[in-house]
Amino acid sequence: MTPDVQGAWTAVVHHPLFGIGITLGAYQLAVAAYERTRWIFLQPVLVSMLLLIGVLLSCGIQYGEYRKSTEILNILLGPATVALAVPLYLNLRRIRQLFWPTFTTLVVGGVFATLTCVALGYAFGAEHMILMTMAPKSVTSPIAMLVAEQIGGVAALAAVFVLITGVLGAIVGPALLDRFGVTHPEARGMSLGITAHAVGTSVALQESDECGAFAALAMSLMGVATAVLLPLAVSLVT
Amino acid sequence: MLLRGLTWLVLFQLLGTALNHLLLPMLPGPIVGLLLLLVWLMARGEVGQPLSEASSSLLRYLPLLLVPPAVGVMVYAKDIAADFWAIVGALVISCVLSLVLAGVLMQKLIHRQSARKEQP
Repeated sequence: MTPDVQGAWTAVVHHPLFGIGITLGAYQLAVAAYERTRWIFLQPVLVSMLLLIGVLLSCGIQYGEYRKSTEILNILLGPATVALAVPLYLNLRRIRQLFWPTFTTLVVGGVFATLTCVALGYAFGAEHMILMTMAPKSVTSPIAMLVAEQIGGVAALAAVFVLITGVLGAIVGPALLDRFGVTHPEARGMSLGITAHAVGTSVALQESDECGAFAALAMSLMGVATAVLLPLAVSLVT
Repeated sequence: MLLRGLTWLVLFQLLGTALNHLLLPMLPGPIVGLLLLLVWLMARGEVGQPLSEASSSLLRYLPLLLVPPAVGVMVYAKDIAADFWAIVGALVISCVLSLVLAGVLMQKLIHRQSARKEQP
């Protein structure tokens, strides 16, 4: 009797744990690559996403099946989003002195970042679904994904647009701020946090503690403000 | 400890989901939960040990939780290709402009505030 290699392969690939297994594996590889190189392009989420798409395509697994087998990770995303309230609260206590500058910059910068992106996308002829997905691009991914879905965009694409924005902001941000004479650590942090969320915050933390604290604050304020106001704004406009 | 904090987080999300259905159809449940937790923390004035433990462990693995939904891009390859340059153009230009605007504005406001403090 010949061993049923084909059958065993099918059993493994379509096992409910296969999706979790490859996700954990790909993520750890991606994190190791990032920590080894510290290269900002190698964002773990982006790299694991590419690895996993490769594995799924070569094994002939549909996205629906993979999504179903990783349901357990998806369920935890809700409590993790709620947990963002804790760092936001801790950061809020630090800004008493600079409350008005922070608040004004958040409102003006946040509205500007969201509007220019949608307006430019519209001017360049992107369709409605893509526009609604790009609107929350300056916000940390779990919030951006929830918001995009809420206003008629696509969560998966939102996660990618968010990553692209973050990586771009982190790469060009510090040099750009130098060129325009922005030297205050608080101002640099706010700018990086509002536009480039978590990736920007990690760059800001490398500059100084103060800069990092303001970036973290800007990121969480921008996230919550977008989550509350963007769906409202969209429902008023349409 | 970890479990107790996790229970709080789940409880707040479920509360958020209930409110989402009852009053606020435009805000997703987890976001309502986040706001509720923030209000609760402000009212209490501190973050308890169980909650801080649970939130920091969950947030450490947040990127991992985001991987499966991000893989969903493979379904939308055609939509991305159709609008590729519009997407890239809008993201890049908007990102650069808002970076500069936010940085310059914040710096101006900080200067103005400290100038006002020096000559009252």
